[in-house]
Amino acid sequence: MPDAEGTGPAIELRGVVASSGGYEILSDASIAFPEGLFSVVMGAAGSGKSTLLKVAGGLVVPDSGSVWFRGADMGRFGRKDETAFRAATGFVFQDSALWADTNILGNVSMPLRVHKPWMGESAIAEAVRVLLQRLGYDEGMAMRPAELSSGEQKLVSIARAVIHDPSIVFMDDPTSNLDEDAAEKVYALLEDLREKRRTVVVVANSSELAYRFADRLGVIKGGTVAAFGPYDETVGRAEAALSGSLARLRARGSRTRAGRGEAGAENSQRGDV
Amino acid sequence: MIARLGHSARLKGSSLLYGLGFFYNVLKETGRFFRRSQVGYKVLILQILFTGYEALAINAVMAIAIGAAINVIGQSLLPQFGQSQLMYSILIIVITRELGPLLTAFVITARSGTAIATQLGTMVVNHEIEAYIAVGLNPISYLVVPRFIGVVVSMLVLTVYFNIFGLMGSFIVVQMISPTPIGEYLGTLMSMLTVGDVVSGLTKALVFGVVVSVVATYQGFSVNRSSTEIPVAGIKAVGQSFILIILTDVLVTLVQYA
Repeated sequence: MPDAEGTGPAIELRGVVASSGGYEILSDASIAFPEGLFSVVMGAAGSGKSTLLKVAGGLVVPDSGSVWFRGADMGRFGRKDETAFRAATGFVFQDSALWADTNILGNVSMPLRVHKPWMGESAIAEAVRVLLQRLGYDEGMAMRPAELSSGEQKLVSIARAVIHDPSIVFMDDPTSNLDEDAAEKVYALLEDLREKRRTVVVVANSSELAYRFADRLGVIKGGTVAAFGPYDETVGRAEAALSGSLARLRARGSRTRAGRGEAGAENSQRGDV
Repeated sequence: MIARLGHSARLKGSSLLYGLGFFYNVLKETGRFFRRSQVGYKVLILQILFTGYEALAINAVMAIAIGAAINVIGQSLLPQFGQSQLMYSILIIVITRELGPLLTAFVITARSGTAIATQLGTMVVNHEIEAYIAVGLNPISYLVVPRFIGVVVSMLVLTVYFNIFGLMGSFIVVQMISPTPIGEYLGTLMSMLTVGDVVSGLTKALVFGVVVSVVATYQGFSVNRSSTEIPVAGIKAVGQSFILIILTDVLVTLVQYA
């Protein structure tokens, strides 16, 4: 169903219940991430943010409820649908989740080898080199993940998620473990994704990230989506105390740059992108 | 008490069904593996190198020692019953039909079964499996099938090697007790070796290879969240493999001799 600005959901969760190890993590969670917008979901540790993202990214199968990708029920996906979904998405894990037995080139290039098998080795290596350089990763491509700092691993993991230019990117705390310089490089990449009107779904503890990028802002509490909507609307809600992060965002006041899909003026700019 | 037993039986039953479903998926993906060019070939080659090539030395030493031991025992016992001529038959039956595939399977279980279970378990804990799914690689087809094929191929090749080295070990002992020209030794041996002996040994090797690889990968994937589950998966992989190897050994033998 299109949202108020006429943007239909890229991914939608309907009444999702998900559990792990006998504990219910998500309870009747419903949320629709609009196509082409930057959605940020915040919440306290253990509130179910990562699980929500994994359910949306098709990595955790819900106990009940359904997940929809551009109007198609992911529970009914066949092999081809699954391949198309994976080609259209990229996923950044909270703890990087790089393949330990594969070097950095192998890690970052894997989505290209899977989804763009026609690319030659030299083209793949060049694409990986350019992207890593842009993210400020300056170690060798033959190194193994264990030889890198956690911040560098995060950069490599972000590169792996976007190397094949997916239209939807899921990110679990993309700036955790990063120093300020590295975080700025990631912000530049996020800005680029925003400019290109990619659908970006981020779960984060960073209010800075939400303040800079969120077109849609959500709060998850106790496994349910307590609030989700345009940034100003969510921040301005009376129950902003739902999350400490929201209170901090509210304290920062209005943004100088309105989020896309929130203001008519901003909507008129979107045509230029 | 009865409720507990019922609960335990239900768990075991569902676990067995899940295992059978896993095995079915492995077979289904194996059929697709060679039909498409994909990145899994590298994993397959590495698996054959680790399971097959790197186990050659230990398998050869064990085979030579076993072959020699059988010969020493046979040479001292059989003449007492006037049955010295049975030496070659015993060698072939014990090495080719039974010990070759059985001991090779034990070696592969100890080396590769534990390695596969703990490696996959570590990957689960580190979310590497989820990362494969996220980039569009099916973990069964990319991680399990190459290991499955690699272990089965290595099992077959190592069993053949075991047979060759086992019979060579026996030859070394023969040379010490009553020197015999190698041509005569091999000629007699070959004349007694039947197609049934070879088929029996290779059938067992095939079955054991399937058992070891499926059990190890299944146990690896059964790890859930904690790193403490990883050694448990390794231990279970060895224990279950040993039991299933013995059981299938008896079954195949019964089928062949029935």
